[in-house]
Amino acid sequence: MRCAIVGSGLAALATYATLRHGGLRPEEIVVLGTHEDPTEVWRTRAASIRQTRMRSESEGHLAAASFPGLAVREALRRGSPAPLLRTAVNRYHPSVREFLAHAESVRRHTGWDRSFRPARVERVRAVDGGFTVDGEGPFPHVLLATGHPGLARPDDYPGAVHAYEPHEYASKVAVVGAGMAAATEWLNALDAGAEVVSIRRREPLRRPLNVPRRFFSKRGLARFHASTPELRAATLRELSNASYPPGATWDEPLRRAEAEGRFRVESSPNGTASWNGVQVIAATGFRRGFRNDPLLADLVDAHELTTHDRWIVLDPDSTVPVLTDAARTLSVAGVAAQWAFPAADTIAGAKYAARAFKRRVCRTH
Amino acid sequence: MSYTLIGRIESRIVSVLPALAVALALQRWWALELVALMLAIGLVLDTAVYDRAIDYQPAWLALPLGALELALVYGAMRWLGLMAPLRWALALFTIGWLGAQLFGHALFPRLRLEYGEGGGELGRNGALTAVAAAAVVLGGVGAAYAVRPPTIHLHGTVQGPLVIRHAQTLVGGIVKGGILIRADNVTLRNVTVVGGEDGIDVLDAHHVMLDNVKVVGVSLDGIHVRRSSVMIEDCKITSPRGPWVQGIDISFSMDKEMSMVDGCTIVGVREGIVTHMTMVDVAHNRIGATSLRGITMGEMSMGSISHNDVLGAHGVGIICLDHSECEIEHNTVVGTRKDPSGDESRAGVAIEAHFFAKAKVAHNTVVASPGGVAAFDQSTLSR
Repeated sequence: MRCAIVGSGLAALATYATLRHGGLRPEEIVVLGTHEDPTEVWRTRAASIRQTRMRSESEGHLAAASFPGLAVREALRRGSPAPLLRTAVNRYHPSVREFLAHAESVRRHTGWDRSFRPARVERVRAVDGGFTVDGEGPFPHVLLATGHPGLARPDDYPGAVHAYEPHEYASKVAVVGAGMAAATEWLNALDAGAEVVSIRRREPLRRPLNVPRRFFSKRGLARFHASTPELRAATLRELSNASYPPGATWDEPLRRAEAEGRFRVESSPNGTASWNGVQVIAATGFRRGFRNDPLLADLVDAHELTTHDRWIVLDPDSTVPVLTDAARTLSVAGVAAQWAFPAADTIAGAKYAARAFKRRVCRTH
Repeated sequence: MSYTLIGRIESRIVSVLPALAVALALQRWWALELVALMLAIGLVLDTAVYDRAIDYQPAWLALPLGALELALVYGAMRWLGLMAPLRWALALFTIGWLGAQLFGHALFPRLRLEYGEGGGELGRNGALTAVAAAAVVLGGVGAAYAVRPPTIHLHGTVQGPLVIRHAQTLVGGIVKGGILIRADNVTLRNVTVVGGEDGIDVLDAHHVMLDNVKVVGVSLDGIHVRRSSVMIEDCKITSPRGPWVQGIDISFSMDKEMSMVDGCTIVGVREGIVTHMTMVDVAHNRIGATSLRGITMGEMSMGSISHNDVLGAHGVGIICLDHSECEIEHNTVVGTRKDPSGDESRAGVAIEAHFFAKAKVAHNTVVASPGGVAAFDQSTLSR
């Protein structure tokens, strides 16, 4: 077995599809994870916040090559040029249904199920000839795609339901947070007829994508990679601030609700104290940093990996420098790979790590 | 897409392959020169403008940038005197532009997964392909330059008739008694011809370019073309010696490449521009005071007559004649006078189809021409 992918979410499927595109057979790859369906965790979260449209664009899919993107596929399927025109002006955002259907097709066509093995991996160790994964191996090439290390729950609201957990809406709702999930929850709760208070400490940024476009290509990445660790960390901190896309789709319903007195913003929960039966929804995203991920924390400690603040220091190709050489590769994908790719927790980020991993794996074929 | 400079350059060069393939298939130097011009202008823009001004390039920006590049390529073509037929030049540019879109959005991302995140860089294979494509273009232009016809500058007045039997570019001077062109790839530029029967006589020659020539005082045709393909631009034909002089006559060239007459001024002749059995575009000419017709497309000719001004013609302004098929559009015909013979088909007709001819007529301006727009003798006019 040449490759092991630890994790079984979207980043793992993107990596698997990329390796298969690179010519590896299913029997050369093992996927070790807790969910046989790679979309299950993400799908549950998306369903919880009633997300219907992706924030990503046409290329935000899990197949190896970016073309044909979801806009092309939808245009062909519907026999309409509208998705193509929208993608030409960056106004195309595939539906969640479109994205999931395509992910299912990628799963089926790549043979994911032949390589998947249910396992909750707790330990990865570097050994001669590669890495052992919970004692199994060695595998010459391993990619860690462990995903977000749990939901972030604000201490101030112990009774809050997290936005990414299934929930309904009460008649009075307080939404903590100011990112994409929070904005989605404002609209959901208003749609459900609720009175909504947005609790946030700062005004949200309005960005079309999680991260400015320059960070998705070498043009911006080269400067990012060349910056000092302090500057890089500062950039990542700035980029991790809550944001949601600009546009009337978001603003108009809020403006209307505000005029009707059904939506307001507060910096603390004081104003809502008088509410009886107020439902607090924590749209506060995920816990941050490798320390919150037991597998990564163990790996860092065991091999004394270089870290900076909450990030594991990685090479630009998303590999762990001291554990990667001509014969073996330890790559990181997903949010833990931000040191290499600021938008690592996006589909583009998953593919960035996957492609770099494939280059190394295929070079040592 | 956020291109790096190297990405822009590599993508640009490799994307030229479809246009280059068409240019090579055409086997014409101008086609290769045009591809080289497109590439050169694109690379200059990439380096000096786009890389600095455009951090992120959305797909829609390809349209305005394409229009800008088209304008620059057209301007450079005119400035350099590149002898490319306009329609072919536009077609080649369009192929190049569409090729770039197809390569950039579909082919490159398929062949190189990292294309987008790599800022358009194509890796080792792409770089080699770019070098090969650039070498072919440069080689082609070099070859075109190496085999280009010699340029001969005439000074003062030369006693003709002058017979040209080899490819060459003749520039300037005054030739008395006419010029006979009997070779392919001949260019006359800024030459004045005085006297003689035919001012410039072209026979059995391909790729002849007559650029800014003046013909004065001839007794038969100002420019007489038989079984040849010519591009005539910005000519002047005036002061005919006798009542039978025709301005430009291009005939019996149906099996040759399409000819073109553009931007000429012809005054006081019997027929301004006349064609027989020829494929030709007649555009942007000014023709005045003709005694028979302004423009005649006759005897199974095919082509367009557009954006011409025909002033004070006697009898007929523009005619599509004898089984010809013509597109007659955006012309201005003013003051066509009635022929006293009483022949209805010459009763000051501005635009006419005659004897089984088919003319498509649109957007013409007709002023003070009593015969208006008319069809005679089983011909058809469609609007």
